[in-house]
Amino acid sequence: MRDYIRLAGILFLVCAIAAAALGFTNSATYDRIQEQQVIASAEAKKAVLPDAEEFENLDEAALTEIKSNAKYNYVTDIYIAKAAGNVIGYAIQVAPKGYGGAVEVFVGITSDGNIQGIKVGNNSETPGLGKKAATADFQDQYVGTTWESPIDVIKNATPKGNEIVAISGATITSRAVTDGVNQALEAAKELSGK
Amino acid sequence: MNLWKDFSNGLLKENPTFRLVLGTCPTLAITTAVFNGIGMGIAATAVLVGSNLIISLIKKGTPNEVRIPIFVIVIATFTTIVEMIIKAYSPALDKSLGLYIPLIVVNCIIIARAEAFAVKNPPLNSIMDGLGMGLGFTVAITIISAVREVLGAGTFFGMQLFGANFEPALIMILPPGGFLVFGLSIAAFNKIMSLRKV
Repeated sequence: MRDYIRLAGILFLVCAIAAAALGFTNSATYDRIQEQQVIASAEAKKAVLPDAEEFENLDEAALTEIKSNAKYNYVTDIYIAKAAGNVIGYAIQVAPKGYGGAVEVFVGITSDGNIQGIKVGNNSETPGLGKKAATADFQDQYVGTTWESPIDVIKNATPKGNEIVAISGATITSRAVTDGVNQALEAAKELSGK
Repeated sequence: MNLWKDFSNGLLKENPTFRLVLGTCPTLAITTAVFNGIGMGIAATAVLVGSNLIISLIKKGTPNEVRIPIFVIVIATFTTIVEMIIKAYSPALDKSLGLYIPLIVVNCIIIARAEAFAVKNPPLNSIMDGLGMGLGFTVAITIISAVREVLGAGTFFGMQLFGANFEPALIMILPPGGFLVFGLSIAAFNKIMSLRKV
């Protein structure tokens, strides 16, 4: 019995010291980690709507209303993009479910419904396949698509109008990103009152 | 000098990747780019040196019956610390390596050296062993990464090597390519080592 108490006691001690070391490191790095995430987020917004000069969060009430609507279940955040004081579009963050979990996508939509750019962020898709969604080649396909009709995913053909070609071997990821983008388009359309 | 021997052991004679064949999971998974290879190597070395040192320091107070849980706690703590540092100072590396940073906890090299060396040797020697094994691992996976990146993506450390007409052999950055390069590298390593003995 005494042996078990001794063993348990030593394990407890090791865990306590480990926890202290981790707590210390955490407090030392927490602010910087948050900073990095803010920088990444700001860069992503600028990358999808280069014409914008500044971004504002959509007000709480409007955001909650949109997010409570089931057809916007992937929308996580909405920013209003302004240039020279006028609203020029929306940067909408969505998180559709891909192959390996949620895929963060930033979508930049102008006030007249054109996508200026998308940026695929954090994801757990397969390297070499689904992860290729985060490359310029794939993301550029969405530039110029509009909110006229939902974007379609096609395979092995030349895309026209509101169509994009899926990544070979990563159809699920390609469809997920497109679903997210479509929701962003719908949300932007509703917000701009068109 | 004993310290030098403990250090150089991990470079060639008992290279963890080509000789001991440990830590094969990250070796196969992340060696698709030189940036990944170097980053993972440094991260794993940091954890290895830290855990070797601590385990060697506390070896007298570590009861045999619970030594494995204690090793795991020490390794996991260092891995988490390294992960936080990477997230804070190199988000690019964090994005590339992703899940494989916390997976350093179960990198066999680390617990193998803890059990085979750190728990039976003085702290300074344990540090040297950690450094040697870590460096051996880093060089090994960087070499594999270089081959896979050049052939599979046409770049080296992100820099384009060939013109636009180069069609990279995609298989090189997919799992089969990993196995191919890994296996061939071990063969090449063995051949070179056997020549040295003569």
